[in-house]
Amino acid sequence: MGQPLLARFPMEGSVSGHHRSPHRGSSVEFAEYRNYAPGDDIRRLDWRVFARTDRYYLKEFEAETNLRCYVVLDCSGSMGFEGEHGTRLDYAKRLAATLSYLIINQGDAAGLLHVTEKTTPDIPPRRNASHLQIILDALGQAQPTGGTQLVPMLHELAEKARRRALVVILSDCFCDGAELRDALQHLRFQKHDLALFHLLDPLELAFEFDRPVRFVDMEGSQSIVTEPATVRAEYQAQLKRFLGKLRDDCHEFNADYRRVTIDQPYGQVLADFLTERARHATRA
Amino acid sequence: MTFLQPLILWGLPLVLLPVIIHLINRMRHRPRQWAAMQFLLAATRSSTSHAKLRNLLILLMRVLAVLTLLLFLARPLVGGWMGWALAAAPDAILLLVDRSASMEARVAGADESRREYALKMLADAAREFEHASHLVLLDSATRQAREIANAASLPGLPDTQATDTAADLPAMLQTALDWLIENQAGTAEIWIASDLQASNWQPDDPRWETIITAFDSMPQKVRVRLLATTQESPGNASISVAQLSRQQATGGGEVRLAVDLTRSQADAGRATITRTLNGVATELEARVTGQSTRWRHRFAVGDQAGGWGKLELSADGNPRDNITYYRYSDDHRPAGLVVTGSALGPLWQAAASAAGRDGRTPAKRYAPDDVTPADLRDATLVVWQAPLPEGEMAGALRRFADEGGRVIFFPPDQAATARFAGLGWGEKQTSGDAGFAVGRWDEDQGPLANTDEGLLLPLAKLGVRQRQQVIGQAAVLAAFDDGQALLVRQSLGQGEVYFCATLPLLAWSEMGDGLVVVPMLQRLLAAGSRRLQRDSVAECGHVGAGDLQLEWTSIETGQRGDVQTQAGVYQSGDRWLVVNRPAAEDEFERVGDEAVAGLFGSLSFQLFQAQRDDTALQGEIWRMFLFLMLLALLIEAWLIRPGPIPDDAPPKPQPAAA
Repeated sequence: MGQPLLARFPMEGSVSGHHRSPHRGSSVEFAEYRNYAPGDDIRRLDWRVFARTDRYYLKEFEAETNLRCYVVLDCSGSMGFEGEHGTRLDYAKRLAATLSYLIINQGDAAGLLHVTEKTTPDIPPRRNASHLQIILDALGQAQPTGGTQLVPMLHELAEKARRRALVVILSDCFCDGAELRDALQHLRFQKHDLALFHLLDPLELAFEFDRPVRFVDMEGSQSIVTEPATVRAEYQAQLKRFLGKLRDDCHEFNADYRRVTIDQPYGQVLADFLTERARHATRA
Repeated sequence: MTFLQPLILWGLPLVLLPVIIHLINRMRHRPRQWAAMQFLLAATRSSTSHAKLRNLLILLMRVLAVLTLLLFLARPLVGGWMGWALAAAPDAILLLVDRSASMEARVAGADESRREYALKMLADAAREFEHASHLVLLDSATRQAREIANAASLPGLPDTQATDTAADLPAMLQTALDWLIENQAGTAEIWIASDLQASNWQPDDPRWETIITAFDSMPQKVRVRLLATTQESPGNASISVAQLSRQQATGGGEVRLAVDLTRSQADAGRATITRTLNGVATELEARVTGQSTRWRHRFAVGDQAGGWGKLELSADGNPRDNITYYRYSDDHRPAGLVVTGSALGPLWQAAASAAGRDGRTPAKRYAPDDVTPADLRDATLVVWQAPLPEGEMAGALRRFADEGGRVIFFPPDQAATARFAGLGWGEKQTSGDAGFAVGRWDEDQGPLANTDEGLLLPLAKLGVRQRQQVIGQAAVLAAFDDGQALLVRQSLGQGEVYFCATLPLLAWSEMGDGLVVVPMLQRLLAAGSRRLQRDSVAECGHVGAGDLQLEWTSIETGQRGDVQTQAGVYQSGDRWLVVNRPAAEDEFERVGDEAVAGLFGSLSFQLFQAQRDDTALQGEIWRMFLFLMLLALLIEAWLIRPGPIPDDAPPKPQPAAA
């Protein structure tokens, strides 16, 4: 996994880094010429241009800053869904840990937000290596419980994170689609870079059972006994409509939507994610 | 509906097996924690009604499959006879059994006759009702209704055995109607077993309308079920003596027979006939040219005063119509008697002369005023050309006819108001130059029938210039072109009375040349000889009341015989009786299904055509249940088939290669 994690949009960091900044800086990347204005540092005058044109121009370079990444981990009860390939939350934890490691290892700041009904302290983004251990410890203690609080949590994050940051969401998104759309829009409005890992179990997509099943809601007390074969077609149609709408919403807000079934190797999932981001950064 | 393996029906509770399995399956569902509950709830809400209906249908098909499997294994029997009706048993079931000779036709591929087959089927069908309904047997031979104790005895009852009689279906139904009225029966069913022979059913008989109207007007419901035993039969031929006469020939007496051979096949060929004469059998061959052939045969009997015999065909589809009996005798000789005052006397005497060992004997002649009743004693034919008799002579003539004599009246050449047997003379009519032409006459029977050789009497060329109108209702045997009768016949007891409208005088007609009048009078002379015969000839079922009073012994078996139902030659003292089956029984014509149904009008009627291949009255219908079971399984399979993957199924991300 030699690719660095790059932001798709300019970031506002506190120190110099590998990511584009909305400001001009002193990197080696030429940005533009502009006319000298009184007050400008005369050391930045391009004397060669002055010698040729007898005019004062300033040569400006791209500023590069570090990345602040918030990893939002959905810890609602539905994330505890367990199929043949383990629980969804375990899969999400692995992704979160690996991403945190990559971010901190490349000198950027990584933080962790638990989405849960319980009040769990957020881990703000930090760059130091010891911060990784804090994140990993928090991930190890995360348990699936209660109903999902993803939407209010995202709104809260949009308000709280005043600087531009990369927000990586790891969730099954089993919540109201319209509310989720509003939350994502809110984040984008704050100019955050969004990456949504939509985690699904293969069983949830295929819905294949050979006998009647009593389905028990993982986030409530509701249960239903049914012959899966009789509702399979309608279930799949409902699910597909939801997935299509969510993907379209993400594309509309320029968010990075990645549907992941947890039987996929997470290394490959991350490699695809990083490669795609790197390609996007190169184009930009 | 009955079953060959009824024990299997104990397994009927197994039809609940699919329901029980379904319920158990529902009870042993697995619990499953599920995250995507919002989609499952929405899907369940939108497909519940449809899914429930489909589940019910699936369950129904499984139950049906098990049910039909059990019924299939139980080998159900059902037939058009009982149909599918599950109505309550009627109060009375009248079993109308056709015992006519035609019912003895063998059923192709089976060792039984149509009657035996019908009785077996009736007994099987009636068995289920014998405890709830009165079973009443009404057979065609005796037409007596009698209750029977149980259905199983039906095939063995004396009143259901084979006969040589014909059936009269309208009369049988009338008897059934009378029985129902007399016994005040409640709901009733009439089960008829018959081969639909047209001569038995007489579809044109006006009695049908009366009977069916009477049934309709009955307060109780009457249902008619007809078992038509019209199965395929092997080829059949029948034989019957149409005419018999004993003639005096040069070498002694000889018997002349005209025999009708009727066959179901129309191809030409030869028939082997065994002639038995006084116990001695001789095999003969007859050439047959079509379905119906008249075969003439004569044999010498020397000086024998009388004898009996039978003609027999080889075995075929119906053994009952292969034998016909005959008897000849010369204990009487035909004798004519002429009553006339005209010059035609000698002509009448010659034309009515009788042949004997000593040659021909002219008929006796009397003037109208001279004849007395005593003169009729030895006569067989009376030719009366004079005013119609009245008073004592008229009575004597009626008795003469009642005894079997024949009387023929010719025009007296004067109008009169007198009547004899309802007939009389009207006005005399004279034609112009063209004369009165004879338009039609009965060529098959009667005194004007064709000759033994099949030749027509020359009535068409008969010139008639004068005629005297015949008044009264009678059967017209010959008529002029304008519709007026030339010769009419009125039955009177065992004899017949004829009126001829013209005279064999040149002024009247050309009848005097003898080509018409001689054969006509000779035939009447021979027919009238029955009056003096000690022998009786009858058809089964129509033996005279007087003969039925006697005890008859069969000549063949030497035992007492039932002359009313069994053909044969019988003797009682010095009297002889020859009984043959009715000629109509040899006809193959049947009444069509629709015509039969039409006869019963608005009565509830069900016709079952017995088919040998279907084992008939109650046919096995396991094939139908097998088919239904397969159909139920197919529908069930179609209902539970995995649906096509919907176009809007969520795509599953392909796992990338590690």
